[in-house]
Amino acid sequence: MLRVTRRFVHALVLLLGVSAISFALLSAAPGNVFDELRLNPQISPEAVAALKAQFGVDLPWPTRYAHWLASVLRGEFGYSVSYRCRVGTLLWPRARNTLLLTALATILAWMIAVPWGIVEALHRGRWLDRLGGGITAILLAIPELVLVLLLLWLAARTRWFPTGGMFSLGSAELTISRKAWDLAQHLILPVLALALGTAPFLIRYVRSAISAVLDAPFLQSARGFGIGTARIVYRHALPAAANSLISLLGFSIGALLSTSLLIEVVLSWPGLGPLMLEAMLARDTCVVMAVVMLSAVFLVLGNLIADLLLYWSDPRIRAV
Amino acid sequence: MENRPPANGQAQPPVLLSVQGLSLEYARRHAFRAKRTETHALRDVSFDLREGETLALVGPSGSGKSSLAKCLVLLETPSTGRILYRGTDILQLPPEARREVRGEMHLIFQDASTALNPRWTVTEIVREPLTIHSKGLSSAESTRLVIEALEQVELGANWHARRPRELSGGQRQRVALARALMLRPKLLILDEALASLDLSAQGQLGNLLLELQQRYAMSYLYVTHDMRMASVLAHHFAVLDGGRIVPRTLPTELIAGTLQPVS
Repeated sequence: MLRVTRRFVHALVLLLGVSAISFALLSAAPGNVFDELRLNPQISPEAVAALKAQFGVDLPWPTRYAHWLASVLRGEFGYSVSYRCRVGTLLWPRARNTLLLTALATILAWMIAVPWGIVEALHRGRWLDRLGGGITAILLAIPELVLVLLLLWLAARTRWFPTGGMFSLGSAELTISRKAWDLAQHLILPVLALALGTAPFLIRYVRSAISAVLDAPFLQSARGFGIGTARIVYRHALPAAANSLISLLGFSIGALLSTSLLIEVVLSWPGLGPLMLEAMLARDTCVVMAVVMLSAVFLVLGNLIADLLLYWSDPRIRAV
Repeated sequence: MENRPPANGQAQPPVLLSVQGLSLEYARRHAFRAKRTETHALRDVSFDLREGETLALVGPSGSGKSSLAKCLVLLETPSTGRILYRGTDILQLPPEARREVRGEMHLIFQDASTALNPRWTVTEIVREPLTIHSKGLSSAESTRLVIEALEQVELGANWHARRPRELSGGQRQRVALARALMLRPKLLILDEALASLDLSAQGQLGNLLLELQQRYAMSYLYVTHDMRMASVLAHHFAVLDGGRIVPRTLPTELIAGTLQPVS
Protein backbone atom coordinates (compact mmCIF):
# COMPACT_ATOMS: atom_id res chain seq x y z
CA MET A 1 0.00 0.00 0.00
CA LEU A 2 2.86 2.32 0.90
CA ARG A 3 4.44 1.53 -2.46
CA VAL A 4 1.23 2.53 -4.31
CA THR A 5 0.85 5.73 -2.30
CA ARG A 6 4.48 6.64 -2.96
CA ARG A 7 4.00 6.04 -6.69
CA PHE A 8 0.87 8.25 -6.68
CA VAL A 9 2.76 11.08 -5.01
CA HIS A 10 5.61 10.72 -7.55
CA ALA A 11 3.04 10.80 -10.37
CA LEU A 12 1.46 14.01 -9.02
CA VAL A 13 4.83 15.75 -8.70
CA LEU A 14 5.74 14.65 -12.22
CA LEU A 15 2.46 15.95 -13.67
CA LEU A 16 2.94 19.26 -11.88
CA GLY A 17 6.43 19.53 -13.38
CA VAL A 18 5.19 18.64 -16.89
CA SER A 19 2.38 21.19 -16.66
CA ALA A 20 4.72 24.00 -15.47
CA ILE A 21 7.30 23.33 -18.20
CA SER A 22 4.65 22.99 -20.93
CA PHE A 23 2.93 26.20 -19.81
CA ALA A 24 6.23 28.09 -19.71
CA LEU A 25 7.22 26.86 -23.20
CA LEU A 26 3.81 27.71 -24.68
CA SER A 27 4.00 31.18 -23.10
CA ALA A 28 7.49 31.70 -24.50
CA ALA A 29 6.29 30.96 -28.05
CA PRO A 30 5.69 34.20 -29.99
CA GLY A 31 2.14 35.29 -30.76
CA ASN A 32 -1.19 34.49 -29.17
CA VAL A 33 -4.82 33.77 -30.00
CA PHE A 34 -5.62 37.52 -30.44
CA ASP A 35 -2.93 38.23 -33.02
CA GLU A 36 -5.21 37.24 -35.90
CA LEU A 37 -7.95 39.54 -34.56
CA ARG A 38 -5.55 42.50 -34.85
CA LEU A 39 -5.30 41.85 -38.60
CA ASN A 40 -9.06 42.21 -38.94
CA PRO A 41 -9.81 45.92 -39.77
CA GLN A 42 -13.37 45.55 -38.44
CA ILE A 43 -12.07 45.00 -34.88
CA SER A 44 -10.58 48.04 -33.23
CA PRO A 45 -7.23 47.84 -31.36
CA GLU A 46 -9.11 48.92 -28.21
CA ALA A 47 -11.49 45.95 -28.51
CA VAL A 48 -8.52 43.58 -28.93
CA ALA A 49 -6.79 45.17 -25.94
CA ALA A 50 -9.98 44.78 -23.89
CA LEU A 51 -10.23 41.10 -24.86
CA LYS A 52 -6.59 40.54 -23.98
CA ALA A 53 -7.14 42.16 -20.59
CA GLN A 54 -10.29 40.06 -20.08
CA PHE A 55 -8.43 36.79 -20.71
CA GLY A 56 -5.28 37.92 -18.87
CA VAL A 57 -3.02 37.28 -21.86
CA ASP A 58 -0.54 39.99 -20.85
CA LEU A 59 -0.17 38.79 -17.26
CA PRO A 60 3.19 37.17 -16.34
CA TRP A 61 3.16 33.39 -17.05
CA PRO A 62 3.42 32.27 -13.39
CA THR A 63 0.23 34.20 -12.61
CA ARG A 64 -1.55 32.72 -15.64
CA TYR A 65 -0.24 29.28 -14.67
CA ALA A 66 -1.69 29.70 -11.17
CA HIS A 67 -5.08 30.67 -12.69
CA TRP A 68 -4.89 27.69 -15.01
CA LEU A 69 -4.07 25.33 -12.12
CA ALA A 70 -7.07 26.64 -10.18
CA SER A 71 -9.34 26.00 -13.15
CA VAL A 72 -7.89 22.45 -13.52
CA LEU A 73 -8.87 21.78 -9.93
CA ARG A 74 -12.41 22.91 -10.83
CA GLY A 75 -12.35 20.47 -13.79
CA GLU A 76 -12.54 23.32 -16.34
CA PHE A 77 -8.97 23.27 -17.76
CA GLY A 78 -9.19 26.96 -18.67
CA TYR A 79 -11.29 28.72 -21.30
CA SER A 80 -10.98 28.16 -25.04
CA VAL A 81 -11.09 31.49 -26.83
CA SER A 82 -11.54 29.94 -30.28
CA TYR A 83 -14.32 27.53 -29.23
CA ARG A 84 -15.81 30.00 -26.71
CA CYS A 85 -16.37 27.41 -24.00
CA ARG A 86 -14.64 25.80 -21.06
CA VAL A 87 -11.96 23.37 -22.26
CA GLY A 88 -13.24 20.62 -19.96
CA THR A 89 -16.57 20.39 -21.78
CA LEU A 90 -14.73 20.31 -25.10
CA LEU A 91 -12.18 17.77 -24.00
CA TRP A 92 -14.13 14.83 -22.55
CA PRO A 93 -16.23 13.82 -25.60
CA ARG A 94 -13.13 14.09 -27.82
CA ALA A 95 -10.97 12.12 -25.37
CA ARG A 96 -13.69 9.45 -25.17
CA ASN A 97 -13.71 9.09 -28.97
CA THR A 98 -9.92 8.87 -29.13
CA LEU A 99 -9.80 6.34 -26.30
CA LEU A 100 -12.43 4.16 -27.97
CA LEU A 101 -10.32 4.09 -31.11
CA THR A 102 -6.88 3.66 -29.56
CA ALA A 103 -7.93 1.18 -26.87
CA LEU A 104 -9.47 -1.12 -29.50
CA ALA A 105 -6.43 -0.73 -31.75
CA THR A 106 -4.03 -1.43 -28.88
CA ILE A 107 -5.95 -4.55 -27.84
CA LEU A 108 -5.98 -5.75 -31.47
CA ALA A 109 -2.25 -5.01 -31.91
CA TRP A 110 -1.38 -6.98 -28.76
CA MET A 111 -3.69 -9.83 -29.78
CA ILE A 112 -1.79 -10.06 -33.07
CA ALA A 113 1.67 -9.45 -31.60
CA VAL A 114 1.78 -11.93 -28.71
CA PRO A 115 0.92 -15.13 -30.61
CA TRP A 116 2.83 -13.98 -33.71
CA GLY A 117 5.94 -13.09 -31.67
CA ILE A 118 5.77 -16.43 -29.81
CA VAL A 119 5.45 -18.42 -33.05
CA GLU A 120 8.40 -16.53 -34.56
CA ALA A 121 10.51 -17.12 -31.43
CA LEU A 122 9.67 -20.84 -31.42
CA HIS A 123 10.68 -21.13 -35.10
CA ARG A 124 13.82 -18.98 -34.93
CA GLY A 125 15.93 -19.16 -38.05
CA ARG A 126 13.35 -21.25 -39.92
CA TRP A 127 11.17 -20.20 -42.84
CA LEU A 128 8.18 -19.23 -40.66
CA ASP A 129 10.36 -16.82 -38.68
CA ARG A 130 11.88 -15.39 -41.85
CA LEU A 131 8.43 -14.94 -43.43
CA GLY A 132 7.11 -13.24 -40.27
CA GLY A 133 10.23 -11.09 -40.05
CA GLY A 134 9.80 -10.05 -43.70
CA ILE A 135 6.16 -9.04 -43.19
CA THR A 136 6.94 -7.01 -40.06
CA ALA A 137 9.91 -5.36 -41.81
CA ILE A 138 7.65 -4.28 -44.71
CA LEU A 139 4.97 -2.97 -42.30
CA LEU A 140 7.60 -1.10 -40.29
CA ALA A 141 9.00 0.46 -43.45
CA ILE A 142 5.62 1.76 -44.65
CA PRO A 143 4.94 5.26 -43.24
CA GLU A 144 1.70 5.46 -41.25
CA LEU A 145 0.24 7.95 -43.71
CA VAL A 146 0.84 5.62 -46.67
CA LEU A 147 -0.73 2.76 -44.72
CA VAL A 148 -3.87 4.83 -44.00
CA LEU A 149 -4.09 5.97 -47.61
CA LEU A 150 -3.76 2.36 -48.82
CA LEU A 151 -6.56 1.25 -46.50
CA LEU A 152 -8.62 4.27 -47.56
CA TRP A 153 -8.12 3.34 -51.20
CA LEU A 154 -9.12 -0.27 -50.39
CA ALA A 155 -12.25 0.93 -48.57
CA ALA A 156 -13.19 3.26 -51.42
CA ARG A 157 -12.66 0.54 -54.05
CA THR A 158 -14.44 -2.29 -52.28
CA ARG A 159 -16.99 -0.29 -50.24
CA TRP A 160 -16.59 -2.90 -47.52
CA PHE A 161 -16.46 -0.26 -44.81
CA PRO A 162 -16.92 3.53 -44.45
CA THR A 163 -14.01 5.78 -45.38
CA GLY A 164 -14.18 8.36 -42.59
CA GLY A 165 -16.02 9.92 -39.67
CA MET A 166 -17.50 8.20 -36.65
CA PHE A 167 -21.18 7.83 -37.63
CA SER A 168 -23.12 7.85 -40.93
CA LEU A 169 -25.35 10.81 -41.82
CA GLY A 170 -28.74 10.43 -40.15
CA SER A 171 -27.43 7.97 -37.56
CA ALA A 172 -29.06 10.03 -34.79
CA GLU A 173 -32.41 8.54 -35.75
CA LEU A 174 -31.18 4.93 -35.60
CA THR A 175 -31.90 2.50 -32.77
CA ILE A 176 -29.08 1.84 -30.27
CA SER A 177 -28.12 -1.52 -31.78
CA ARG A 178 -28.05 -0.11 -35.34
CA LYS A 179 -26.06 2.87 -34.10
CA ALA A 180 -23.57 0.53 -32.45
CA TRP A 181 -23.28 -1.43 -35.71
CA ASP A 182 -22.75 1.82 -37.62
CA LEU A 183 -20.03 2.84 -35.15
CA ALA A 184 -18.38 -0.58 -35.42
CA GLN A 185 -18.23 -0.25 -39.21
CA HIS A 186 -16.69 3.22 -38.95
CA LEU A 187 -14.13 1.89 -36.46
CA ILE A 188 -12.76 -0.81 -38.80
CA LEU A 189 -10.57 1.44 -40.94
CA PRO A 190 -8.90 3.57 -38.22
CA VAL A 191 -8.51 0.64 -35.82
CA LEU A 192 -6.93 -1.48 -38.56
CA ALA A 193 -4.60 1.34 -39.60
CA LEU A 194 -3.51 1.99 -36.03
CA ALA A 195 -3.11 -1.71 -35.16
CA LEU A 196 -1.12 -2.44 -38.33
CA GLY A 197 1.13 0.51 -37.54
CA THR A 198 1.78 -0.61 -33.95
CA ALA A 199 1.75 -4.44 -34.22
CA PRO A 200 5.07 -4.92 -36.13
CA PHE A 201 6.96 -3.06 -33.41
CA LEU A 202 5.22 -5.15 -30.72
CA ILE A 203 5.82 -8.41 -32.66
CA ARG A 204 9.55 -7.70 -32.86
CA TYR A 205 9.63 -6.93 -29.17
CA VAL A 206 7.67 -10.06 -28.14
CA ARG A 207 9.82 -12.23 -30.42
CA SER A 208 13.03 -10.92 -28.96
CA ALA A 209 11.78 -11.14 -25.34
CA ILE A 210 10.56 -14.75 -25.77
CA SER A 211 13.69 -15.74 -27.74
CA ALA A 212 15.92 -14.48 -24.95
CA VAL A 213 13.96 -16.50 -22.41
CA LEU A 214 13.90 -19.65 -24.55
CA ASP A 215 17.71 -19.60 -24.52
CA ALA A 216 17.80 -19.35 -20.73
CA PRO A 217 19.43 -22.39 -19.08
CA PHE A 218 16.41 -23.01 -16.83
CA LEU A 219 14.25 -23.51 -19.91
CA GLN A 220 16.81 -25.82 -21.51
CA SER A 221 16.78 -27.71 -18.25
CA ALA A 222 12.96 -27.85 -18.29
CA ARG A 223 13.05 -29.10 -21.88
CA GLY A 224 15.45 -31.81 -20.78
CA PHE A 225 12.65 -33.15 -18.58
CA GLY A 226 10.46 -33.64 -21.62
CA ILE A 227 8.20 -30.66 -20.94
CA GLY A 228 5.98 -29.91 -23.94
CA THR A 229 6.10 -26.69 -25.97
CA ALA A 230 2.77 -25.38 -24.66
CA ARG A 231 3.88 -25.66 -21.04
CA ILE A 232 7.31 -24.24 -21.88
CA VAL A 233 5.63 -21.17 -23.40
CA TYR A 234 2.78 -20.57 -20.95
CA ARG A 235 4.27 -21.70 -17.62
CA HIS A 236 7.90 -20.69 -18.15
CA ALA A 237 8.67 -18.40 -21.09
CA LEU A 238 5.72 -15.99 -20.92
CA PRO A 239 5.93 -15.35 -17.16
CA ALA A 240 9.72 -14.94 -17.48
CA ALA A 241 9.33 -12.51 -20.40
CA ALA A 242 6.41 -10.79 -18.66
CA ASN A 243 8.52 -8.09 -17.02
CA SER A 244 9.69 -6.52 -20.27
CA LEU A 245 6.30 -7.08 -21.94
CA ILE A 246 4.44 -5.44 -19.03
CA SER A 247 6.76 -2.42 -19.28
CA LEU A 248 5.93 -2.21 -22.98
CA LEU A 249 2.21 -2.56 -22.20
CA GLY A 250 2.59 0.41 -19.82
CA PHE A 251 4.11 2.37 -22.67
CA SER A 252 1.22 1.29 -24.96
CA ILE A 253 -1.29 2.58 -22.40
CA GLY A 254 0.72 5.76 -22.04
CA ALA A 255 0.66 6.35 -25.77
CA LEU A 256 -3.11 5.79 -26.09
CA LEU A 257 -3.91 9.48 -26.56
CA SER A 258 -0.94 10.43 -28.68
CA THR A 259 -0.63 7.69 -31.32
CA SER A 260 -3.75 8.40 -33.32
CA LEU A 261 -3.30 12.11 -34.14
CA LEU A 262 -2.45 11.59 -37.83
CA ILE A 263 -5.06 8.88 -38.42
CA GLU A 264 -7.79 10.93 -36.74
CA VAL A 265 -6.98 13.92 -38.92
CA VAL A 266 -6.85 11.90 -42.17
CA LEU A 267 -9.99 9.86 -41.41
CA SER A 268 -11.95 12.75 -39.84
CA TRP A 269 -12.31 10.92 -36.54
CA PRO A 270 -13.70 13.43 -34.03
CA GLY A 271 -11.03 12.79 -31.41
CA LEU A 272 -8.30 14.77 -29.75
CA GLY A 273 -6.08 14.76 -32.85
CA PRO A 274 -8.05 17.26 -34.96
CA LEU A 275 -8.82 19.31 -31.83
CA MET A 276 -5.11 19.54 -30.98
CA LEU A 277 -4.22 20.49 -34.56
CA GLU A 278 -6.86 23.23 -34.73
CA ALA A 279 -5.89 24.53 -31.29
CA MET A 280 -2.22 24.71 -32.23
CA LEU A 281 -2.99 26.59 -35.44
CA ALA A 282 -5.25 29.01 -33.52
CA ARG A 283 -2.70 29.30 -30.65
CA ASP A 284 -5.42 28.29 -28.23
CA THR A 285 -3.08 27.72 -25.28
CA CYS A 286 -5.61 26.23 -22.86
CA VAL A 287 -6.77 23.54 -25.32
CA VAL A 288 -3.18 22.61 -26.23
CA MET A 289 -2.28 22.49 -22.53
CA ALA A 290 -5.28 20.28 -21.77
CA VAL A 291 -4.41 17.78 -24.52
CA VAL A 292 -0.73 17.75 -23.49
CA MET A 293 -1.70 17.21 -19.86
CA LEU A 294 -4.16 14.45 -20.71
CA SER A 295 -1.40 12.68 -22.69
CA ALA A 296 0.98 13.12 -19.74
CA VAL A 297 -1.65 11.71 -17.36
CA PHE A 298 -1.97 8.63 -19.58
CA LEU A 299 1.79 8.21 -19.74
CA VAL A 300 2.05 8.38 -15.97
CA LEU A 301 -1.01 6.12 -15.59
CA GLY A 302 0.48 3.59 -18.04
CA ASN A 303 3.70 3.45 -16.04
CA LEU A 304 1.77 3.18 -12.80
CA ILE A 305 -0.34 0.29 -14.13
CA ALA A 306 2.83 -1.41 -15.45
CA ASP A 307 4.47 -1.02 -12.02
CA LEU A 308 1.47 -2.50 -10.24
CA LEU A 309 1.24 -5.37 -12.74
CA LEU A 310 4.95 -6.09 -12.27
CA TYR A 311 4.47 -6.04 -8.52
CA TRP A 312 1.56 -8.46 -8.87
CA SER A 313 3.19 -10.78 -11.40
CA ASP A 314 6.77 -11.09 -10.16
CA PRO A 315 7.19 -12.61 -6.71
CA ARG A 316 10.82 -11.44 -6.63
CA ILE A 317 9.71 -7.77 -6.78
CA ARG A 318 7.24 -8.36 -3.94
CA ALA A 319 10.03 -9.86 -1.87
CA VAL A 320 12.23 -6.73 -2.14
CA MET B 1 35.73 -39.27 0.39
CA GLU B 2 36.74 -42.74 -0.63
CA ASN B 3 37.93 -43.75 -4.05
CA ARG B 4 35.56 -46.05 -5.88
CA PRO B 5 36.43 -49.72 -6.11
CA PRO B 6 36.93 -50.83 -9.72
CA ALA B 7 33.85 -52.37 -11.31
CA ASN B 8 35.81 -55.19 -12.97
CA GLY B 9 36.06 -58.51 -11.25
CA GLN B 10 32.30 -58.52 -10.60
CA ALA B 11 29.49 -59.80 -12.83
CA GLN B 12 29.00 -57.25 -15.64
CA PRO B 13 25.70 -55.38 -15.21
CA PRO B 14 23.64 -54.94 -18.39
CA VAL B 15 24.31 -51.93 -20.66
CA LEU B 16 21.87 -49.09 -19.93
CA LEU B 17 23.05 -46.56 -22.49
CA SER B 18 24.96 -47.26 -25.66
CA VAL B 19 26.07 -44.34 -27.80
CA GLN B 20 27.11 -45.42 -31.29
CA GLY B 21 28.84 -43.27 -33.89
CA LEU B 22 27.29 -40.02 -32.69
CA SER B 23 28.15 -36.89 -34.65
CA LEU B 24 26.83 -33.36 -34.25
CA GLU B 25 27.39 -30.42 -36.54
CA TYR B 26 26.39 -26.82 -36.00
CA ALA B 27 25.79 -24.84 -39.18
CA ARG B 28 26.59 -21.14 -39.04
CA ARG B 29 25.23 -18.62 -41.50
CA HIS B 30 27.32 -15.65 -42.57
CA ALA B 31 25.79 -12.24 -43.09
CA PHE B 32 27.41 -11.62 -46.47
CA ARG B 33 28.28 -15.10 -47.68
CA ALA B 34 25.87 -17.65 -49.12
CA LYS B 35 28.05 -20.53 -47.93
CA ARG B 36 27.46 -21.85 -44.43
CA THR B 37 30.25 -22.89 -42.09
CA GLU B 38 29.85 -26.18 -40.27
CA THR B 39 31.39 -26.75 -36.85
CA HIS B 40 31.83 -30.37 -35.85
CA ALA B 41 30.96 -30.52 -32.16
CA LEU B 42 30.99 -34.34 -32.02
CA ARG B 43 32.62 -36.84 -34.39
CA ASP B 44 31.76 -40.50 -34.30
CA VAL B 45 31.45 -40.75 -30.51
CA SER B 46 30.77 -44.24 -29.14
CA PHE B 47 30.67 -45.62 -25.60
CA ASP B 48 28.62 -47.84 -23.31
CA LEU B 49 27.36 -47.12 -19.83
CA ARG B 50 26.25 -50.02 -17.65
CA GLU B 51 23.51 -50.03 -15.01
CA GLY B 52 24.62 -48.74 -11.61
CA GLU B 53 27.97 -47.51 -12.94
CA THR B 54 29.51 -44.10 -13.47
CA LEU B 55 31.33 -43.07 -16.59
CA ALA B 56 33.42 -39.92 -16.30
CA LEU B 57 33.64 -38.03 -19.54
CA VAL B 58 36.64 -35.78 -19.20
CA GLY B 59 38.07 -33.26 -21.59
CA PRO B 60 39.10 -29.63 -21.97
CA SER B 61 36.64 -26.77 -22.57
CA GLY B 62 35.15 -26.84 -26.05
CA SER B 63 35.80 -30.55 -26.48
CA GLY B 64 32.09 -31.29 -27.01
CA LYS B 65 31.22 -32.63 -23.54
CA SER B 66 28.16 -30.45 -23.03
CA SER B 67 27.01 -30.98 -26.62
CA LEU B 68 27.09 -34.72 -26.00
CA ALA B 69 25.13 -34.32 -22.75
CA LYS B 70 22.50 -32.25 -24.58
CA CYS B 71 22.24 -34.83 -27.37
CA LEU B 72 21.56 -37.57 -24.84
CA VAL B 73 18.53 -35.74 -23.39
CA LEU B 74 17.46 -34.73 -26.91
CA LEU B 75 18.10 -31.01 -26.45
CA GLU B 76 20.26 -31.27 -29.57
CA THR B 77 19.57 -33.50 -32.55
CA PRO B 78 22.70 -35.36 -33.67
CA SER B 79 23.53 -35.41 -37.38
CA THR B 80 24.29 -39.14 -37.38
CA GLY B 81 24.57 -42.00 -34.93
CA ARG B 82 22.39 -43.87 -32.49
CA ILE B 83 21.56 -43.44 -28.81
CA LEU B 84 20.41 -46.82 -27.51
CA TYR B 85 18.66 -46.70 -24.16
CA ARG B 86 18.01 -50.23 -22.92
CA GLY B 87 18.57 -51.35 -26.51
CA THR B 88 16.08 -48.91 -28.12
CA ASP B 89 17.28 -46.05 -30.31
CA ILE B 90 15.61 -43.05 -28.67
CA LEU B 91 16.24 -40.89 -31.75
CA GLN B 92 13.80 -43.08 -33.68
CA LEU B 93 11.06 -43.03 -31.02
CA PRO B 94 7.77 -41.15 -31.57
CA PRO B 95 7.33 -38.03 -29.35
CA GLU B 96 5.17 -39.74 -26.72
CA ALA B 97 7.62 -42.61 -26.22
CA ARG B 98 10.51 -40.12 -26.13
CA ARG B 99 8.78 -38.31 -23.31
CA GLU B 100 8.60 -41.53 -21.31
CA VAL B 101 12.32 -42.14 -21.80
CA ARG B 102 13.06 -38.58 -20.77
CA GLY B 103 11.42 -39.35 -17.44
CA GLU B 104 14.17 -41.92 -16.84
CA MET B 105 17.21 -39.80 -17.75
CA HIS B 106 17.96 -36.35 -16.42
CA LEU B 107 20.56 -33.74 -17.12
CA ILE B 108 21.89 -31.62 -14.27
CA PHE B 109 23.63 -28.44 -15.41
CA GLN B 110 26.75 -26.83 -14.04
CA ASP B 111 25.18 -23.61 -12.84
CA ALA B 112 22.05 -24.34 -10.83
CA SER B 113 21.51 -20.60 -10.28
CA THR B 114 20.46 -20.31 -13.94
CA ALA B 115 19.10 -23.85 -14.37
CA LEU B 116 16.20 -23.28 -11.95
CA ASN B 117 13.25 -21.03 -12.73
CA PRO B 118 14.05 -17.90 -10.66
CA ARG B 119 10.35 -17.07 -10.12
CA TRP B 120 9.43 -20.42 -8.59
CA THR B 121 9.81 -21.75 -5.08
CA VAL B 122 11.87 -24.85 -4.31
CA THR B 123 8.67 -26.90 -3.93
CA GLU B 124 7.28 -25.74 -7.28
CA ILE B 125 10.58 -26.51 -9.04
CA VAL B 126 10.87 -29.99 -7.56
CA ARG B 127 7.20 -30.78 -8.22
CA GLU B 128 7.33 -29.94 -11.93
CA PRO B 129 8.53 -33.29 -13.34
CA LEU B 130 5.60 -34.94 -11.55
CA THR B 131 3.08 -32.63 -13.22
CA ILE B 132 4.51 -33.61 -16.59
CA HIS B 133 5.11 -37.32 -16.19
CA SER B 134 2.74 -38.43 -13.41
CA LYS B 135 -0.56 -36.79 -14.24
CA GLY B 136 -3.45 -37.92 -12.09
CA LEU B 137 -1.39 -37.90 -8.92
CA SER B 138 -3.30 -36.30 -6.02
CA SER B 139 -1.98 -33.02 -4.60
CA ALA B 140 -1.29 -34.65 -1.20
CA GLU B 141 0.61 -37.51 -2.81
CA SER B 142 2.74 -35.21 -4.96
CA THR B 143 3.50 -33.01 -1.93
CA ARG B 144 4.60 -36.11 -0.03
CA LEU B 145 6.91 -37.11 -2.90
CA VAL B 146 8.35 -33.58 -3.10
CA ILE B 147 9.11 -33.54 0.62
CA GLU B 148 10.63 -37.01 0.36
CA ALA B 149 12.90 -35.96 -2.53
CA LEU B 150 14.01 -32.84 -0.66
CA GLU B 151 14.73 -34.93 2.43
CA GLN B 152 16.85 -37.27 0.32
CA VAL B 153 19.06 -34.37 -0.70
CA GLU B 154 19.06 -33.13 2.89
CA LEU B 155 17.22 -29.90 2.29
CA GLY B 156 15.10 -29.10 5.35
CA ALA B 157 11.51 -27.81 5.39
CA ASN B 158 12.60 -24.23 6.10
CA TRP B 159 14.03 -24.04 2.57
CA HIS B 160 10.98 -25.34 0.70
CA ALA B 161 9.24 -21.98 0.20
CA ARG B 162 12.43 -20.15 -0.82
CA ARG B 163 13.34 -19.12 -4.35
CA PRO B 164 16.65 -20.07 -6.01
CA ARG B 165 18.34 -16.74 -5.35
CA GLU B 166 17.79 -17.21 -1.61
CA LEU B 167 19.84 -20.44 -1.65
CA SER B 168 23.57 -21.11 -1.72
CA GLY B 169 25.21 -22.76 -4.75
CA GLY B 170 25.30 -26.14 -3.04
CA GLN B 171 21.65 -25.88 -1.97
CA ARG B 172 20.62 -24.98 -5.53
CA GLN B 173 22.43 -28.01 -6.86
CA ARG B 174 20.63 -30.12 -4.25
CA VAL B 175 17.31 -28.71 -5.50
CA ALA B 176 18.31 -29.65 -9.06
CA LEU B 177 19.20 -33.13 -7.83
CA ALA B 178 15.92 -33.47 -5.90
CA ARG B 179 14.02 -32.46 -9.05
CA ALA B 180 15.91 -35.08 -11.03
CA LEU B 181 15.16 -37.72 -8.40
CA MET B 182 11.41 -37.12 -8.50
CA LEU B 183 10.82 -39.65 -11.25
CA ARG B 184 13.33 -42.22 -9.96
CA PRO B 185 15.60 -41.83 -13.00
CA LYS B 186 17.86 -44.62 -14.16
CA LEU B 187 20.45 -42.25 -15.61
CA LEU B 188 21.74 -38.91 -14.37
CA ILE B 189 23.91 -36.83 -16.68
CA LEU B 190 25.93 -34.50 -14.51
CA ASP B 191 27.25 -31.77 -16.80
CA GLU B 192 29.99 -30.18 -14.66
CA ALA B 193 27.40 -30.37 -11.89
CA LEU B 194 29.91 -29.88 -9.09
CA ALA B 195 32.25 -27.46 -10.86
CA SER B 196 30.71 -24.23 -9.57
CA LEU B 197 30.77 -25.36 -5.92
CA ASP B 198 33.43 -24.86 -3.27
CA LEU B 199 35.45 -27.88 -2.14
CA SER B 200 33.34 -28.60 0.92
CA ALA B 201 30.05 -28.46 -1.05
CA GLN B 202 31.65 -30.62 -3.78
CA GLY B 203 32.57 -33.20 -1.17
CA GLN B 204 29.10 -33.22 0.41
CA LEU B 205 27.30 -33.48 -2.91
CA GLY B 206 29.76 -36.10 -4.17
CA ASN B 207 29.03 -38.24 -1.12
CA LEU B 208 25.31 -37.77 -1.62
CA LEU B 209 25.61 -38.87 -5.26
CA LEU B 210 27.49 -42.01 -4.23
CA GLU B 211 24.90 -42.79 -1.58
CA LEU B 212 21.99 -42.26 -3.99
CA GLN B 213 23.67 -44.43 -6.62
CA GLN B 214 24.04 -47.22 -4.12
CA ARG B 215 20.45 -46.87 -2.94
CA TYR B 216 18.73 -46.63 -6.33
CA ALA B 217 21.28 -48.36 -8.63
CA MET B 218 21.41 -45.27 -10.85
CA SER B 219 23.95 -44.77 -13.61
CA TYR B 220 25.83 -41.50 -13.87
CA LEU B 221 27.46 -39.91 -16.87
CA TYR B 222 29.76 -37.49 -15.12
CA VAL B 223 30.88 -34.79 -17.53
CA THR B 224 33.81 -32.92 -16.08
CA HIS B 225 37.27 -31.52 -16.47
CA ASP B 226 38.03 -32.18 -12.81
CA MET B 227 39.94 -35.47 -12.93
CA ARG B 228 40.32 -35.63 -9.16
CA MET B 229 36.53 -35.66 -8.65
CA ALA B 230 36.14 -38.05 -11.59
CA SER B 231 38.48 -40.51 -9.88
CA VAL B 232 36.28 -40.42 -6.79
CA LEU B 233 32.93 -40.86 -8.51
CA ALA B 234 33.55 -42.89 -11.65
CA HIS B 235 34.15 -46.54 -12.50
CA HIS B 236 35.25 -45.79 -16.06
CA PHE B 237 36.48 -42.81 -17.97
CA ALA B 238 36.54 -41.56 -21.50
CA VAL B 239 38.50 -38.59 -22.78
CA LEU B 240 36.79 -36.30 -25.25
CA ASP B 241 38.94 -33.97 -27.30
CA GLY B 242 37.96 -32.04 -30.42
CA GLY B 243 34.60 -33.84 -30.44
CA ARG B 244 36.18 -37.34 -30.52
CA ILE B 245 36.76 -39.95 -27.85
CA VAL B 246 40.51 -40.30 -27.78
CA PRO B 247 42.50 -43.17 -26.33
CA ARG B 248 44.42 -41.56 -23.52
CA THR B 249 45.62 -42.53 -20.07
CA LEU B 250 44.79 -40.25 -17.17
CA PRO B 251 47.63 -39.11 -14.88
CA THR B 252 48.23 -41.93 -12.47
CA GLU B 253 48.83 -39.71 -9.46
CA LEU B 254 45.28 -38.31 -9.88
CA ILE B 255 43.40 -41.50 -10.44
CA ALA B 256 45.48 -43.81 -8.25
CA GLY B 257 44.75 -46.66 -10.63
CA THR B 258 41.06 -46.89 -9.77
CA LEU B 259 39.54 -45.91 -13.12
CA GLN B 260 39.15 -48.19 -16.09
CA PRO B 261 39.22 -46.81 -19.64
CA VAL B 262 35.85 -47.17 -21.32
CA SER B 263 35.49 -50.13 -23.69
